[in-house]
Amino acid sequence: MSATRLLGATALALGVAAPFAGTPASGGKAADAIDVAALARMVAARQDHVSAIDLARWIRDQRPGLRVIDVRTPEAFAHFAIPTAENIPIERIPGARFGDEEMVVLYSEGGAHAAQAWVFLKAAGVRNAVFIAGGLGDWFDEVISPVLPADPPPGQAARIAEVTEISLYFGGTPRRAAPGETSTAASSDSDTAALIANARRRGC
Amino acid sequence: MSDSLLLAVLIGIAFGVALEQAGLGNAAKLTGQFYLTDFTVMKVMLSAILTAMLGAFWLGRFGLIDPAQVHVPETFLWPQIVGGMIFGVGFALAGLCPGTACVSASSGRLDGLAAIGGLFAGVLATGLAFPALAGFYGSGARGVVTLPATAGLPEGVVVLLVVLAALGVFRLIATREQEG
Repeated sequence: MSATRLLGATALALGVAAPFAGTPASGGKAADAIDVAALARMVAARQDHVSAIDLARWIRDQRPGLRVIDVRTPEAFAHFAIPTAENIPIERIPGARFGDEEMVVLYSEGGAHAAQAWVFLKAAGVRNAVFIAGGLGDWFDEVISPVLPADPPPGQAARIAEVTEISLYFGGTPRRAAPGETSTAASSDSDTAALIANARRRGC
Repeated sequence: MSDSLLLAVLIGIAFGVALEQAGLGNAAKLTGQFYLTDFTVMKVMLSAILTAMLGAFWLGRFGLIDPAQVHVPETFLWPQIVGGMIFGVGFALAGLCPGTACVSASSGRLDGLAAIGGLFAGVLATGLAFPALAGFYGSGARGVVTLPATAGLPEGVVVLLVVLAALGVFRLIATREQEG
């Protein structure tokens, strides 16, 4: 057998044996560790949350695979919940299982618990998960009682009509802003920060 | 000089000797790969990949190295695609890559020396232009991407598949060389 063939045969033998070698003694750590840098990039790129109005649109449109998860207590959930939501209290989140094709939307009272639940799910390898940044406060501000601009700038009429329609779909009461009042129907989805600031100011 | 630096020098010398022995200090031989007339580059690369992969895999399994300590570079999609294309154009034009340019220059070839001059000029230009490139430099970040994680297969299975693919290519090249 030539040296070349011997090397080839050795490589083949080592390759064939590889699938039966099991997991390395200490190498498993790297696979199990949370990729914190990747999570931080998702947060920076705003891929970790959606606005309440987006969630409302997904629910109305019956987005395939959508699972709305309320991480509050069963008592709070029984009192009020976003339509179609399931109740998985935060302490049970680590044991929850979600499929790769499912889109998990988390919410809590203020947003902090939902954000923490998001980290837990991401650490567990759940592929599609987001949360409502401002919690139920956002839901009420953006969907149930949206304040629409008194005289909308041109080009926003379609969006305002859509917000109105979504709000009415969920039994909300959209209304026009009084003079000097800020609208909660954001001109674009990137205005969520402004919306939340607005909600905070009004004490929600 | 620390032990790891000393080790790096020794490994670097061995790497250079291996490249020169394989004939990869010769630009004509390297460009032959791009025209599919000389498969030395392919054979050397695949041999190196197999050796390194099987070595890292089995040394890890026997506990001689800690796989978790092996640095896996992160993927930045867009800059790596554009950078790879620029690298490829330079490789085909000069007939040398950075490693083989060093080997070529060390063995007294002037084209190797010129390629090293171009290499440092490119590094300098990139460094000076970096403020303008910084946004692009970090774009398309995907974190650490590995074949087993992407394919959802156990590491050992991926090792076997790569071995089979490499041996298959070796067989193809051998057949082609016999015919030619």
